[in-house]
Amino acid sequence: MLSRKRASQSVPNMKPSFAPSVAMTLDVLAAEIELAGARCIYLDRLIGEVMEGLPELERERLLEGLHGVDLLAQHLTSLSAFARGLSLVVPEDVTAPVGEALSDVTLGALVERMTTGLGGDLDEVEAADAGDLDLF
Amino acid sequence: MQFDGRASKIMVVDNDRTTLEMVQIRLDVAGFHPIAARTGRAALEVLETSRPDALILERNLPEMDALAFLRAMAALPGRPVPVLLVGRSLAAEDVRAGVELGVRDCLAKPFSGASVVERITRMLKRSTTQASPARPAVYINA
Repeated sequence: MLSRKRASQSVPNMKPSFAPSVAMTLDVLAAEIELAGARCIYLDRLIGEVMEGLPELERERLLEGLHGVDLLAQHLTSLSAFARGLSLVVPEDVTAPVGEALSDVTLGALVERMTTGLGGDLDEVEAADAGDLDLF
Repeated sequence: MQFDGRASKIMVVDNDRTTLEMVQIRLDVAGFHPIAARTGRAALEVLETSRPDALILERNLPEMDALAFLRAMAALPGRPVPVLLVGRSLAAEDVRAGVELGVRDCLAKPFSGASVVERITRMLKRSTTQASPARPAVYINA
């Protein structure tokens, strides 16, 4: 059975009381999803460039992958728009403790960016895994 | 003649790494040449040797805020650069002060990549068709 990581495992010093507004949390989430979407768009362009130099048969194979990346980019930009829209209607005084949810994020750079974006103290996440990849 | 922004150099000044990378990618894919800086001072160093065609500027930069940055940029030699001011909370008085210093458009954060590309394209089109507008148009969250 899979067990969820606790805050103390990957972000040992994160204060449980760290509770930014839900609106700001959604803003930060929207920005991160938008970045993921932008990376997909970039990948889409790269695949397109690679495809140009390929023989017809291989190009057809890649075309399906390209379509998938394009769909993923649209999926992400739509989710980002949803989070952004929701942030506009959430009352500013509604807050949420995000420490535990942040501890489930396994990309160190992402945790750092989100913590900063949420107005948290970076010193509190120094003990988090600094690596960008968590391969099981 | 159709506007072609592919030759345009766009400087992006933002301390938020998520926004900076996202905007850079979107501008690059759209055919622009992005130049990124995370602080006003770093941006000013670049501006001493080259002028971009447009600037995307975060209002609340650490150390040197957007208005201080714009004043410092105005003191440098070179042609004026149209500025797209971005930020989470853009006050009307900041925008008014910014207009005097080159701000031609505003965009509230968080924004989509598509919207920033659309705004910068529109701003460049305006600046190429109106060399010196008598009254610059500023759009707030339009």
